[in-house]
Amino acid sequence: MESSVINERRKQKRLARERRFRFYGISAIVLAISFLVFFFTDIIRKGYKAFAVTEIRSEIVYSGDAMEIPQLAFQEDVREFVSYSVARMIPSDLERDPSLMGKSVVKWVTASDEVDQYAKGSVTRLDQDEQRMIDDLKRQGRLRLSFNTQFFAGGDSKLAEVAGIFSAVVGSLYVIALTVLFSVPIGVMSALYLQEFAPDNFLTRLIEVNISNLAAIPSIIFGLLGLSIFINFFGVPRSSALAGGLTLALMTLPVIIISTRASLGAVPDSIRHGAYAVGTSKLQMVLHHLLPLSMPGITTGTIIGVARALGETAPLLIVGMMAYIPDVPSGITEAATVLPAQIYTWSSASQRAFVEKTAAGIMVLLVVMLLLNATAIWLRRKYEIKW
Amino acid sequence: MDVKNKMVAESMSFYYGDFQALKNISLAFPENRVTALIGPSGCGKSTFLRCLNRMNDLIPKTRMSGRIMLGEMNIHDPKIDVVDLRKKIGMVFQKPNPFPKSIYENIAYAPRIHGIVRSRQQTDAIVEDSLQKAGLWNEVKDRLNDLGTALSGGQQQRLCIARAIAMQPDVLLMDEPASALDPLATQKIEDLVLELKKKFTIIIVTHNMQQASRASDYTAFFYLGDLVEFGRTEQIFTKPHEKQTEDYITGRFG
Repeated sequence: MESSVINERRKQKRLARERRFRFYGISAIVLAISFLVFFFTDIIRKGYKAFAVTEIRSEIVYSGDAMEIPQLAFQEDVREFVSYSVARMIPSDLERDPSLMGKSVVKWVTASDEVDQYAKGSVTRLDQDEQRMIDDLKRQGRLRLSFNTQFFAGGDSKLAEVAGIFSAVVGSLYVIALTVLFSVPIGVMSALYLQEFAPDNFLTRLIEVNISNLAAIPSIIFGLLGLSIFINFFGVPRSSALAGGLTLALMTLPVIIISTRASLGAVPDSIRHGAYAVGTSKLQMVLHHLLPLSMPGITTGTIIGVARALGETAPLLIVGMMAYIPDVPSGITEAATVLPAQIYTWSSASQRAFVEKTAAGIMVLLVVMLLLNATAIWLRRKYEIKW
Repeated sequence: MDVKNKMVAESMSFYYGDFQALKNISLAFPENRVTALIGPSGCGKSTFLRCLNRMNDLIPKTRMSGRIMLGEMNIHDPKIDVVDLRKKIGMVFQKPNPFPKSIYENIAYAPRIHGIVRSRQQTDAIVEDSLQKAGLWNEVKDRLNDLGTALSGGQQQRLCIARAIAMQPDVLLMDEPASALDPLATQKIEDLVLELKKKFTIIIVTHNMQQASRASDYTAFFYLGDLVEFGRTEQIFTKPHEKQTEDYITGRFG
């Protein structure tokens, strides 16, 4: 009788503990999700506007005056609102095609960033009169918002209204491809050798400890290493995707080695013994059994390493990829920039219009990251082995 | 009765570092017979079994003295490739360890890497033949592409036996092959052993006295690294010469 009362009390206590534990767990998740939601709403709220761009309809008259002062080609009431990126093309258009002289066309042309900001309801430096003129244009139907193809198709520009992310995307793709190309074969081979072939002695243990240390080293150190080895010693062009890719490959190597070794170590010894017992050589055992079995782990580790490399900026700062590079690189030795570097460049620009570009750039980077991680999960599911 | 010896160990000792696990063992395994190795845990019977196909080579800091002959061949002869040796001596482990590949691939793998089969037809034939011999064919013939690891424990163990005999070895080593299985699956493995001895020389380590007495022709009793007694199974189980053997098989060991 006595003991059943004690048992009941103990049971109540245990259940209360379990409920409390559940509560803590759920609160932690709720907190994490709310931070994420806050971050996403903030970014999307700022960034979605960058996917639209303001255009003004104007008659363009090709004349001798326009050769000298390109703005004169536009109608008087829009002259100061048209983007300089459009105006500066007038003289070269005329040079290329002199028959245009004296003709006129009506076109939708990109507006300047201040007009763009005003039209989207953001903070602008336009004064009262200018704002009234824009309102008039809108009433006449000569002002519209259209999809910003330039943002996805163009490179960086000092003119916010035409600054695009394409050259950074191409640069990122080059850099990531090179990173994978260099780090995966070297990393997987190193891990295979260390895990399966190397004798267990002081030297190999020293190497192991150092690889673990390398994985924890601040990434900027790898930038300095890349600068001194690849650029100064091997003469790889500065700011090039090759320099960046090699540097990030150095940074990704320890991650790949560690994850490959972990997944090799997770293959049970019974498989090794089973393979040896049917008369495989060591190499056959590794190639036919261990490697396929640890493939999901290797892929996951690689993609995690590469996703980290994709978002990395510090080492690229040192090898000169964090710069104003408007042109799309046409090869791996040409000056290139990458997505996070582009985002950083925009975030430190003075014009208001770059705020939305920054947020939109972050959105693009997040989407690329999400795709990479989704691929990692998909690959792991696909090749997962159940013992 | 005149029986040829397939495998012979001569004054064999084995050391893990400084620990001597086997002390001067001399033992002959008659061809096409089943020899059971019995003894309490840690007596060295599994170590001895693993010496026979040099699986102990994989354990660092071990050494061996003495000689093991397979037919006319010294298995430690430097001219002998350990891969060739293991091809001649199949092994089945305590825990079933099929490769996480299809049933078909589990069997076809060894014949393929050893060049025993050259065409798809030959491979199909050897897969069917091995599964037949292992008594598994009827259960799996319609799902050869299923994962070997998805079979039940007893089926997995028979798959491992089929995998071992697919490379057409001379000797089959079995390290407590039924200890992880239920009585019915154990029964099947024992029946299989009796069937397989027509083709192979079988050496089986077991903890199960009934199993040794039912399935084997010869029995060797190991104790603390010594070979205490070796003889025909019915003699060992009915009239053991040594007191230790008698105590062990009657369960009076202390």
